[in-house]
Amino acid sequence: MSAVPLSIASFPAPPEPSIERSGEKIACEHLFFRYSRKTDWVINDFSQQFRPGITMIKGASGCGKSTLLRLLAGYLPPSSGRVEMPGGFHPEDREFQRKQLGFVFQQLNLLPLATVARNLEMAGSLAGLSHEETLERTQHWLMLLGLKQFADRRPAYLSGGQQQRAAIARALIKDPSILLLDEPTSGLHDLNTQVISNTLRHFVTGPRICVICTHDHRLEFIAHEILDFNRFLPLEGHLVALAGTAE
Amino acid sequence: MLVTVATVILVAFNLLERNLRTRLENFGINTIISREMVMNSDPIAMPNQPRPDAFASLDKFGERLRLRQFYLRARMPWQPEIMIMSYGDEALPILAGLLHTNTPVICFNENMPENSLVEVSFERQQAVAVVRSPKGFFRPLVGQSLLLVPQGMFPEAERIGYVETVVFRKKAGTLSIPQFVSAIHNLFLMDERNPPQIQSAVGMVKELENLQARQAQWRSAMAGMLGLALALVFGAIAVLEFRQNVYVSALMRSFGAPGKALYIRQWLENAILANLAAISAILALACFHKELFGMLGFPADLLNLNSANPYWSWEIALILLWVNVGAFLSSLSVAIGLRQPVGEILS
Repeated sequence: MSAVPLSIASFPAPPEPSIERSGEKIACEHLFFRYSRKTDWVINDFSQQFRPGITMIKGASGCGKSTLLRLLAGYLPPSSGRVEMPGGFHPEDREFQRKQLGFVFQQLNLLPLATVARNLEMAGSLAGLSHEETLERTQHWLMLLGLKQFADRRPAYLSGGQQQRAAIARALIKDPSILLLDEPTSGLHDLNTQVISNTLRHFVTGPRICVICTHDHRLEFIAHEILDFNRFLPLEGHLVALAGTAE
Repeated sequence: MLVTVATVILVAFNLLERNLRTRLENFGINTIISREMVMNSDPIAMPNQPRPDAFASLDKFGERLRLRQFYLRARMPWQPEIMIMSYGDEALPILAGLLHTNTPVICFNENMPENSLVEVSFERQQAVAVVRSPKGFFRPLVGQSLLLVPQGMFPEAERIGYVETVVFRKKAGTLSIPQFVSAIHNLFLMDERNPPQIQSAVGMVKELENLQARQAQWRSAMAGMLGLALALVFGAIAVLEFRQNVYVSALMRSFGAPGKALYIRQWLENAILANLAAISAILALACFHKELFGMLGFPADLLNLNSANPYWSWEIALILLWVNVGAFLSSLSVAIGLRQPVGEILS
């Protein structure tokens, strides 16, 4: 696999984005979740509002950050409580998931048999974009994230950083109003991290809401708000999480 | 492969049944043929003489035609062995529409042009015969060809003995065939003569019933085996592809694709592939139908797909139904996956 030059110069820092922090919010009210009746609560009476801009959720492994993100996306049904999206959407609404939501999984979940471009086109097409618009946006995001040369490659032939950028490009192609990212820079070197953070800063403007779950302190500087998720853990889980962090 | 094997067996049964039905139609369901050997030492009547009519009392139950089948054979230039039968005066009303003004000899043959006159020879004698298609009383008597001559035309043939052949056409709603056969036997017993050889449709009907029963058993067994095999094959595919299908459908759902559409897409894909494979196998068999079933010994006239097409039958529809059941089963993995939350599958 040939290495592709990636330079900070090709990703100039965007002007300071204007954020409408007083705009519509994601509202979580008394959210409870557990995977089965036999297990403990993963999310236990969580209430929070996510305002426009970038909110970073940090916390120990296993504290439920990723689960919360899946609840916000409507990929898991809450055991009780409710999540309300801007525009009165419910997270499980197909229309919301198709057009308003961009989600980057920790495991990336790129379609293994489709090329990078096809992965993006599929997301655009499912979002209801016209064919021309899908192609145009695919080219735009591939270029912006330094993936143009890899458009015809399948994900298995990309490096970890390239795959990560491809997953982000796939989430951004539909121009979502809600962007949820689960560990978008884990294991990536500084240059890749900077490309991703610049892209996110550039993208999250106006009423857009972005929630990032991460351990990565390098992303803290783009966050408008940082939420320490450890504090929502029950005492026993908190201690376990602390022990895990100490290890 | 499964479809091919199942189709071959079911088509073979279909052809066997048609063959039997054709034989039965040709013979006639109400036809009974009595054959009694008359040797030149027969004490009741000598050849070339009128014989007492033993069946006169059966006339009220139907029509009959008395003929004498010779042991010797006639010849035509293109056919060396032709069965000869002779008719008496009593047969003339039945033969009225068949006789030609130029000759009293009739050659029954299906393949030769009707009304044409052909030369036949017997020993050193020559005769001209008119060609007729075998119908009515003559249909069950004719294999390839039959030469019908008036009694006394070939006296030396009759002199060495013959087979007294009586064709009955029983009226519907009178005696049953077994009763009719029993009546013939009783008449012969009363005359203290050995009972004649009787040929009726009963044997063929029984054979047809046996075949249909066997066919029903085979169909049931085949449906069971085919269903089981297809369930195993498609089930194995569904198990092998379970994780992949569930993963891809969950990913599509995460983009907002509706679950029903994903299931229908998967089901359609499986159904189209399975049906294409099955229909290709059936079409391939239909293309080689004559060669394959000809090799298995079925008569050529039965293998004409224009007259009856066993590949366009409910048996084939049954096979395709099983194929579609299999396709449906193989798409269940996606249905199962659709019941799980996306977040659990993509975690």
